[in-house]
Amino acid sequence: MLFNSFDFFIFLPIVLILYWVLVKNIRLQNILLLVASYVFYGWWDWRFLSLIALSTITDYIVGFRIQNASTQYVKKRWLWVSIVFNIGLLGFFKYFNFFIDSWVDLLASIGYQSQNVWMLNILLPVGISFYTFQTMSYSIDIYKGKLKPTKNFIAFAAFVSFFPQLVAGPIERATNLLPQFLKKREFTYKAFSYGIKLMIWGFFLKLVVADRAAIYVNAVFNNIENHDGLSFIVATLFFAFQIYGDFAGYSLIAIGTAKLFGFDLMTNFRRPYFSASVGEFWTRWHISLSTWFRDYLYIPLGGNRVVKSRWLFNLFITFLISGLWHGANWTFVIWGALNGIYLIIEALLFKKNRKGLLNVFVTFCLINFAWIFFRANTLENAIYIIRDIFTTPGRLYIGSGDDIAASLYATLAIMILLVIETKKEYFNRIFSISKNKLEVVRLTGYALVVFIILYFGVFGESQFIYFQF
Amino acid sequence: MIKKDYKISLLKIVKFLIILLIVDFALGTISQYVFFNQKTGKYARATHAIEKTEAKVLIFGSSHAHRHYIPEVLEKELQTSSYNAGAEGQQLLYHSALQKMILKRTKPDVIILNVDEDFLYGSQAAYDRLSDLHPYYANHREDLKPILEQQSRFVDFKLFFKSYQTNSTLVHAIRYYLSPQIDFKGYRPLYGKLSASNKLKMVETDEIETVIDQNFVTGFKSFIAKAKDNNIKLVMVTSPNLVQVDHTNNKSLSMITEIIKNEQVTFIDFFNSKQFLNRYELFHDSSHLNNDGATLFSSLLAEEIKKMKL
Repeated sequence: MLFNSFDFFIFLPIVLILYWVLVKNIRLQNILLLVASYVFYGWWDWRFLSLIALSTITDYIVGFRIQNASTQYVKKRWLWVSIVFNIGLLGFFKYFNFFIDSWVDLLASIGYQSQNVWMLNILLPVGISFYTFQTMSYSIDIYKGKLKPTKNFIAFAAFVSFFPQLVAGPIERATNLLPQFLKKREFTYKAFSYGIKLMIWGFFLKLVVADRAAIYVNAVFNNIENHDGLSFIVATLFFAFQIYGDFAGYSLIAIGTAKLFGFDLMTNFRRPYFSASVGEFWTRWHISLSTWFRDYLYIPLGGNRVVKSRWLFNLFITFLISGLWHGANWTFVIWGALNGIYLIIEALLFKKNRKGLLNVFVTFCLINFAWIFFRANTLENAIYIIRDIFTTPGRLYIGSGDDIAASLYATLAIMILLVIETKKEYFNRIFSISKNKLEVVRLTGYALVVFIILYFGVFGESQFIYFQF
Repeated sequence: MIKKDYKISLLKIVKFLIILLIVDFALGTISQYVFFNQKTGKYARATHAIEKTEAKVLIFGSSHAHRHYIPEVLEKELQTSSYNAGAEGQQLLYHSALQKMILKRTKPDVIILNVDEDFLYGSQAAYDRLSDLHPYYANHREDLKPILEQQSRFVDFKLFFKSYQTNSTLVHAIRYYLSPQIDFKGYRPLYGKLSASNKLKMVETDEIETVIDQNFVTGFKSFIAKAKDNNIKLVMVTSPNLVQVDHTNNKSLSMITEIIKNEQVTFIDFFNSKQFLNRYELFHDSSHLNNDGATLFSSLLAEEIKKMKL
């Protein structure tokens, strides 16, 4: 089920009302959340519910095995069971064909042509990268002694499949989210209204910014032979806001929805395009994933508490794997590697905590350059685009027919977004409709945002980009 | 404490919804005023066809209808009034909806539907573009609801908001206010000739990846039935093409011609017409006639209609 579908607008109030009716019984609330989450996911494809169930059962058992293991060696073995199982699921459903394909290409490059290539027609289960990482964090945290396994299977299953963040995050840590399933949730007006506000802004980001920008981006990136450098630059800039609107929008809707149920999820984006360095960007962009990789990959590799060359290697390998996490395509691997290289250069040549608008601008350009690889359909396309940007400016494509309007709406939406985020970033204390003393002013402000969504939004029930990851 | 928070939340939601409805009504009304007062552009043409035209010969169809049928030529030859209600990029469901809305107000003598060979093949774009009908929903709910429900469920809920009814129409209105899009009774000529040096091969219709959409078949039949119910003479016409095309494997066209035959509708076929084949000077591009081509085509069509004494 998509957040931007009418099914969800019927589903959410029903679940929400039932949930608060059951406020005196946590167990029944958790059962309701579990059933609702499976319905939410099954709406897309019920067959893959079995994967979530398997992942849930495996890590539930592994958690106890780790806790009860008599020696460190046994603990480690059980941890590997969780890692191998979850990474195995990911590897099979997401990367099997990619690795086979890449292997065949590698053999072909040294002159060996494979006659029979064994490929599988595999459908990628939505959100598999997210919930496998979430369940793995549970086992790892128990292994590290940060968490005790829960006996409450329903609460654990509800934690793994919690529908607001099941398919595209934020990737929650068991230490933060699981305890919330074990204690009584209180309904408060403050949390409820804050949740609604986050959802409204999330829908603005998705329907007005991301889906409008997507029309121009797709027109250019999917027909590169008909476009030149200038159009590629504009399309890349639009893509920067498309992916931000899409993913940050999803995260806000997820966090807002969770708030309605009395849960606190972690912040996933903090105005990332105002970062003054790539390092800072990664503390503001997809925070739940970057901190996951920091805690469960970068630090176990040694982090920065090793010799310099090893530290730089740790940085690079973390981002390379992060790239691969995003998709089974060399474009994502290069994107990850590029970010790793940026960070290595920053670590070697620049001082920490850089500030200033020039640094913000340079960082934005670097991030945009990397986005070309992220969005391009193939590596060859990305190279074609970059070559054209530097050699063939050509004419700027402004769209044809209704696409012109779409480009203008996208530009307008991006400008609104930039004004609001600039205010929040640099002038947070001055003028705020949401903090106005008059209730009617506050409510009119939110009503105007809903009006903008209804009037300028794209209502095609389009998928969120991160669903494919 | 919790009960108090429930009450406050409920009260705030009610207040918010009231303010939202006021905002939607106020700004939505302005938006609708802007929409329905456009003088040129695709929406102005559709609004004119729905609300004003009294033409006795009405033309429906996609860009081929819009760009090929010159009402002034038809009027001169047939000695009656004519309006081109063709809409670029639109397909059968849209034409069927437009026909229903027009026929509620006026009864032309003749309806011409320009038939594209791929009219019955499934197309997501055909569904997406039905949003062009949203502004008319409030006044034509009973005609539009069954058609728009094929695009999206909960039509009544979505289109309850005035602002959503005119979603994404503002730039169009401003654009054609600043730079009017001139038309001649709905017809917009294309100029320029296709270069003969662009050698075009004989095109074989690829029917492998095309699937008939039953909603479009129903829409096509409904278009015919509506004309018959209103005792309006219906003429199905195919537009000329530049290069010889083999349509024997085109399931959509085969089904269209079968329905036309079964329903005993007049069919004037200009596909592969020798008067147009390989005449580059009559085409703007490989699919559309230029103004010279449209003039010739409209004259030939008028002659055919006269011969049939419709």
